[in-house]
Amino acid sequence: MQRRDFFKKLGAAAAVTAVIPAMSFAAEAKLKGPNELAYKAAVDAITGGKTPSKSSKVTLKVPEIAENGAVVPVTISVDSPMTDADYVKSIHVLAAKNSNARCIDVHLTPANGKAMFATRIKLGGTQEVVALVGLSNGDYLIASQSVKVTIGGCG
Amino acid sequence: MAAARKSLIKIKPKKFKDGEIVKVSFMVMHPMETGMRRDKKTKEVLPAKYINSVKFNYNGKVVTTMNVWESLSTNPVFTTYMKITGKGKLTVTYTDNTGEVNEKSKKIKPKG
Repeated sequence: MQRRDFFKKLGAAAAVTAVIPAMSFAAEAKLKGPNELAYKAAVDAITGGKTPSKSSKVTLKVPEIAENGAVVPVTISVDSPMTDADYVKSIHVLAAKNSNARCIDVHLTPANGKAMFATRIKLGGTQEVVALVGLSNGDYLIASQSVKVTIGGCG
Repeated sequence: MAAARKSLIKIKPKKFKDGEIVKVSFMVMHPMETGMRRDKKTKEVLPAKYINSVKFNYNGKVVTTMNVWESLSTNPVFTTYMKITGKGKLTVTYTDNTGEVNEKSKKIKPKG
């Protein structure tokens, strides 16, 4: 009986030691950057599961070919009256293939007067730049454009 | 708080009237290090250092807030529009992921 128990324990221990390194390796592989977040998870985190609709109200201005991925100018403007009843709540800029897809969230108020935001982002390679716009009534609009990058800007 | 960073608030057009909607750009000299880049000589990973949040405050009222991640360019620019509502001060506060807090303000004087 004792011998049988011993082998049982040995087997269990071997199984545990075999599983632990595999698990820890998987955890390490996931965390490449400080805030890694895939594109789909990022969109879900913003909209809360809602599917954003494509709209011609959102204009996204990005160069089609960016020579330097470290500096890509992005301009987003939304056709909105910006009154207390109907205004653009937020503008999100996402880069679909960057290790952290989220670039910036901008929370606007009616005091802005005009729904527009411009900045410069880094792109790791040729990919799609997405603008996600949240309206005050809870709807989300989306616009995207692919950008060809000759020299990557990350790392 | 570390040494003050070079920053700039630009308003376009330069001369504006009360009630006008103007373009406001905020620029700051910041490395925006992603935490994934390596030093070319020592091969060590450079620690992440990027702006976390930016807040535009006009006469004590929050106009725009931004949550920022590392994929913004070095020396970033933030451009939005703002409605002028009388004399006052525009203050931009920005926070770093290392806890560095800085601010920059500009007086606003509408004419006519």
